[in-house]
Amino acid sequence: MRERLAGVKLDVELCGIPLKTPLLPASGTLAKEALGEVEGVYGAMLPKTTTPAPRAGNPPPRVAETPAGMVNSIGLQNPGVDRFLEELDALDLGIPVFVSVAGDTVEDFGALCEKVCADERVAAIELNLSCPNVECGGLTFCAGSASVEEVVAVCRVAAPGKPLLAKLTFEGVVENARAAQAAGADALTVMNTIPALTVDARRRDVLVRGGLSGPAIKPVALRAVYDVFGAVGIPVVGSGGVASGVDVAEFMLAGATAVQVGTATFVRDPREILDEFADYLYQLGLDAAELTGGLQDKMGS
Amino acid sequence: MKFHCVPVEERKELGNYTLISYRWRGPVEPGQFVMARAAGYPVTLDPFLARPFSFYDHDGETASLLFEVRGRGTALLERADRIEVSAPLGRGFWIEPSAEKAALLGGGVGVAPLKILRRRLIEFGVRYDVFLGFADAPTAGVAPEFPGAGVATMDGSVGTRGTVLDAVPDLEGYGTVYACGPTPMLAAVKRAADEEVLCQLSVEERMGCGNGSCNGCVVPLRGGGYVRSCVEGPVFRAETLAW
Repeated sequence: MRERLAGVKLDVELCGIPLKTPLLPASGTLAKEALGEVEGVYGAMLPKTTTPAPRAGNPPPRVAETPAGMVNSIGLQNPGVDRFLEELDALDLGIPVFVSVAGDTVEDFGALCEKVCADERVAAIELNLSCPNVECGGLTFCAGSASVEEVVAVCRVAAPGKPLLAKLTFEGVVENARAAQAAGADALTVMNTIPALTVDARRRDVLVRGGLSGPAIKPVALRAVYDVFGAVGIPVVGSGGVASGVDVAEFMLAGATAVQVGTATFVRDPREILDEFADYLYQLGLDAAELTGGLQDKMGS
Repeated sequence: MKFHCVPVEERKELGNYTLISYRWRGPVEPGQFVMARAAGYPVTLDPFLARPFSFYDHDGETASLLFEVRGRGTALLERADRIEVSAPLGRGFWIEPSAEKAALLGGGVGVAPLKILRRRLIEFGVRYDVFLGFADAPTAGVAPEFPGAGVATMDGSVGTRGTVLDAVPDLEGYGTVYACGPTPMLAAVKRAADEEVLCQLSVEERMGCGNGSCNGCVVPLRGGGYVRSCVEGPVFRAETLAW
C-alpha cells in the first residue's frame, strides 16, 4: 500500500505554516517515550500543556474507560514552562512545534505567551482555554465569550506575530469562536474533551470526574467543527474522537484545515490512521489541501 | 501505540484465573508488562482500551499472560482466538546478586510476574522463598504452579488463614523482598519489610496508554508529586513511594 500512496499529496498549510501532513497529536497524548513510533506521521508536534509553575496533577484514579472512549482527569501535570522549554529539544521530530499553554488567570496566559513567543523553536501557540479561571470562581475560560475575548486579546498582544490557536470546549463553541476571532486568534482548535463522570457502583463512589475523549465524542466534535467553520473566517483544527483515516477526512470535509488525534493513538498505531487517510485520498483522486469544507451540503448551521 | 496481532496458542484454566499463551520472541525482563486485548478493531471500540498484564512466562518462543476475568475486556480476551499485544513495556524487577535469601510475595493475580523472576534469580544463583496470598480456594488454584510456595487465603480454605504476610514466618530474615499485588498488600509489605532491605514493589494501576503518554497510571511519590507506573515502573523501590 505504501508505494501507491507515495504520490498522494498530504501537505496542508495552517496559519502560514507548511505541514507535511494534516495530523497533529492532541495536546497531552504523546510523550517523548512514544516518539519513536510516530516519525513522518504528524505535520507538527504539540506537547502536553505547560503552565507557569510545575503542577503535580490530580491524585489517582485519573483515567476510566467508557464505551468507545475514556474519561480523564490528569490535572495538567507538567514541570512548568521553564523546564518545559529546557527540555523541548527532546521532542524535536524535525517538524514545526506548537506549544499548548494554560494559566490560572488572564495575566498568567499573557506572561506564558510572552515567554513562549520569545522562543524561536516555537512555531505556534495553542491556548488551552478549558482550564479553570481562578478569578471567576473556577469557571473555565471558555465559560463565556467575554472571557474568551479577554484572554485571547491579552495573549495576542503578548505574542505578536506568532500564530495563536484558541482551543475551545463544546459548550458555547460558536459564540466563543467568534469572540476568539474578534480578539485576534489565528485559528481555533475545536474541541476539547466533554465534561463527564464515571461511577464505581460497587464501591458507591465517583471513579473519575473529568473529560470524555475517544470515538464516543466524534459526532459531537464534528458538529462543533461544522458549525464553527460556517461562523468564522479563520482556520479550524478539528479534534475529538478521531480514530481512523476516514475520520480525518470527515473532519476536514466538515471544515477542518488540520486534525488532531489523541486518545485513539493509545489503542492504534497513528501511522495506520495516516495510511488510511492517504488511501482515502488516493481512491478519490484528491489532495489533502482540497478537502477543507468540501461537503456537498452547504446548508450550514 | 503499535499492536501486534498474534494467535492464541493455548488456553488453560488455573482455578479462577485464565492463562493464555502466544508466540513472542522479544526480550522480556521479569516484571515487564504487555498491553493486550482481543483482536479486531473497530469491534474493540467497546471495550476501548487495552489492558496491562505482567508477563507470566516466557521461554524465548512463547509468552503467556495470567488474568482474572473481571469485565468485558478480560471476558473477550479469554475467548479470543487472536489477541493484539504491545510489549515489552515498563521497567521490571532488577536483580541484585546476593548471598542473602530473597522473598517473593504475590497477591492474587499479582503472582504473575514471580514465575519469570524466580527463574532469573536461579540464573543469578540467588536463593529465594515464594509466598502467595489469595482470597479463597478458586483463586488459589494457580498456587501449584509455584511448587514449594507458602500459601495463605483470606478464608483459610487453603494454607494459612490471612494475607500473604501471614504466610511469611520472618520477613526481616530476607536480604531482598520482591512483591506484586494490590496496593493495600504492597503498602503492608513495605511496612513489614526492614528499612535496610532492598524492597521492590510492582504496582497495579489503571492504565490508559501504557507508553507514558496519558499520565493516567501515576503513583504518589514520597516527598510529593506523581510518577507514571507504565514508564518509570511498574516496579519501584518501596522507599520511593508515598504509601
